Amino acid sequence: MKVTVKSWHAIAQWRWDTGSNSTEDEEGDVCGICRVAFEGCCPSCKVPGDDCPLIWGECSHVFHMHCLLKWIGTAASKQQCPMDRRPWATAERKVNK
Amino acid sequence: MASQYVREQVALKWTNGFARLNRGEPGITGLLTFTEAWILAREFLRPRDINETKPEFVLTQVKLAFELIGECKMLQSLVDEFLEEMKQQQFLITQECERFMSQYESTSDPQYIAQLVMRLQQWYQAWQPASALGTSMMASYTTAFQTHLFSILPPSFPRGFKALISVTFNLTHRASVPQWLLDVAPQVEGQRPDLSLWVAFDQLGFLDRYDSLVSGVCHEYVEEHILETCAEKWDEPMLAKVREWMANTIVPWMMMPYGRGARTSEEARSMLQAVGSRFDFHLCKTLSELRIKEIFDIIVDYPDSMGALQDLKECLQRVDDKALLVSSLRKANHKRLLHPGADTKLILSQYVSIIRCLRVIDPVGVLLFKVADPIRRYLRERQDTIRCIVASLVGDGESGDSLVDDSEPIQPLQQPQADDYTDPQWEPEPIDAGPEFRTNKPSDVISTLVSIYDSKELFVKELQVLLAQRLLAVKDGNYDKERRNIEILKIRFGEASLQVCEVMLKDMTDSRRIDQHVQAQQSSVLHPTIISKHFWPPLQTTTFDMPGQLKEIQERYSKEFVAFKPDKKLSWLPLLGTVKLEIELDDRTIEIDASPLEAAFVELFSQKDVWTLNELIDEVGGSIDRVTALRALSSLVLHEILKESPLDTFNLLNTKEDIEKYGVKGKQREVVMQEEATLPVVTVQQQQAEQMQVFWKFIEGMLKNLGTLPLDRIQQMLKFAPDYDRSIDQLGAFMEAARQEGLVNVKDGFWSLSNA
Repeated sequence: MKVTVKSWHAIAQWRWDTGSNSTEDEEGDVCGICRVAFEGCCPSCKVPGDDCPLIWGECSHVFHMHCLLKWIGTAASKQQCPMDRRPWATAERKVNK
Repeated sequence: MASQYVREQVALKWTNGFARLNRGEPGITGLLTFTEAWILAREFLRPRDINETKPEFVLTQVKLAFELIGECKMLQSLVDEFLEEMKQQQFLITQECERFMSQYESTSDPQYIAQLVMRLQQWYQAWQPASALGTSMMASYTTAFQTHLFSILPPSFPRGFKALISVTFNLTHRASVPQWLLDVAPQVEGQRPDLSLWVAFDQLGFLDRYDSLVSGVCHEYVEEHILETCAEKWDEPMLAKVREWMANTIVPWMMMPYGRGARTSEEARSMLQAVGSRFDFHLCKTLSELRIKEIFDIIVDYPDSMGALQDLKECLQRVDDKALLVSSLRKANHKRLLHPGADTKLILSQYVSIIRCLRVIDPVGVLLFKVADPIRRYLRERQDTIRCIVASLVGDGESGDSLVDDSEPIQPLQQPQADDYTDPQWEPEPIDAGPEFRTNKPSDVISTLVSIYDSKELFVKELQVLLAQRLLAVKDGNYDKERRNIEILKIRFGEASLQVCEVMLKDMTDSRRIDQHVQAQQSSVLHPTIISKHFWPPLQTTTFDMPGQLKEIQERYSKEFVAFKPDKKLSWLPLLGTVKLEIELDDRTIEIDASPLEAAFVELFSQKDVWTLNELIDEVGGSIDRVTALRALSSLVLHEILKESPLDTFNLLNTKEDIEKYGVKGKQREVVMQEEATLPVVTVQQQQAEQMQVFWKFIEGMLKNLGTLPLDRIQQMLKFAPDYDRSIDQLGAFMEAARQEGLVNVKDGFWSLSNA
């Protein structure tokens, strides 16, 4: 017996590769600033995904980019990561992961 | 022994009387002439049997005699005498009356009544005293005659009289006149043949006495005509036609009983006006009652029944039957619409028709409000109402007739607004509006339907589910229809509410773009739809591992995807989608559209020919349960690829001989097949039920701590719970469900835990 797949229409969900390797967790992580899931979008966006990307800090914290930029833009932020108060530095993304 | 005084008095009276009668003539000559005059007058007046010949009188003499009597102030005595004599002669009339009536009673032919009436008129005229005797004389004669007449007429007379009147309709043409009527009633040239009959009626006082009878006959006639011509004839307005008919048929007849005395048409019109408007009222009343009786079917026929609605509208302006309309339509709805046998779609379309129809009759909407209330309450209880409404919103092509007219302009949903009292166009609520009445500004049908529910969020949720189902089912990548629908709905529900749907559509186009890119890098048979999970309704998340080449295909694709979008990953929803497979067996090749799980099983069978159910389940792993697995296997059995034998063991049917050997058509797991097909999307009801489980914990705790609580208290307290958005009705339904499961009790509206 030989089985050939002619075509396959599948359904998949995308998710951000946040480095936390827990593919199993159901809810996924939320942005530390707006408390909306990463796969959702920040309060000022309407469309998730590439239009509302994430930003990785060297401190390993991840936020919606728009959320973080807004935070950094305020004087009170002192250019610090809102989670650990270390100076914010955007991490280079490792592409081949 | 009379006293002196009495004797004097008698003498005085005598002298006065004598002087009056003698009129100062010499001797008693005055007295003698008076006697002659008296005798003559009495003879003249005497009521005789009209079958005998009346002796001739010289009229001048009679006149002189009456003058003389009048001079002596003896007229009153003469009248008394005359009435007394009449009483003695009345047996003559009684006899004749009985003769005619017994004829009528044996034949029921109204011609005897006509004969009787004409005969009675003869008696009446024969006995009638000369008009010279003054009107009071005439009046007392007429009264006496009629009193006697009415006392002797048998109970069957009104019936006969009615029958006779009925005959007088349709007498406009001489041709249709029965011969007996021409014989009985003297004819006047150029007049209706029944004219003399009506004169007789009037003289005998029948018209006054039987007035209600006369108009009753006419009413019945009108009713009959309306029933005949208008029943179930709804396509054109009938009122004008019926009115015309009345002007042509009834009005000429009405001239007889009500307008005979008129000399000019001007006079006749004014005489008939009062009666005519009474009849017109009756006409409207009859027509409106007929239409109200038919209202349910009229609404079913809408818009072909526009004529009937126009009629009803006009009639209701004249006749106050609105309460009747409301109650009968409510009754009809209750009996014919709001029962379990009616399809929700049907109820909705009838409701929409009702809305449109009652708008025609009563633009303000008071009627509609009263009628619609039970329907709305009923619809709220139906589970699939929202889905039906939403399906019709997006123009689900199944039934063809959408609830919404395409011609109707699309408007945003209208929210009930508070009255704006600074508006110079403001009008108070109609006088017949109930206390609950909300000024329902003529809004479009969809707004009305959506307003059945308290919030439009429910609709948006249901819409999301529906859209998800349709999008995932689309195979050819053509989403134009869905996109168009969403654009339309955006106008109705507002952009913000449908943001989610917008994302769903964007996911579809993005998936296409990504797929094109991936295929360009490395072509694959796999074409996934990649969705943003937070913007889709909850999907079936059961997972399992694809075996063999399927897994390879999947992984290859995932890798390409990650290469394209380095910071994203794909997680598959393995249960969803379809796989087109070509299966080459020893002696045949089968091509099937399989679900992914079926494909996985087929793939497994290419490794070995016999698997048990448990082995299969273990092999795919994940959270596949028995039922799901069995359903997939049964489908393969139906395709004659597998055979179950013995129970829970599945064999690959490599050759046709195998089919015959195992007799594949034989025993099948029908039970499994009968279960409903899996929908990819968790329905709103399932979602709600899941949520309610959480709130049940709150309710349970509440009742445990506080004992018994009324529903509204529970609702109030639940409002403090996060994400609680149920209405009190929904809560009530939930509690009722809990009661049926024996979890709670209710008494006098107070709920308590049943194990307490």
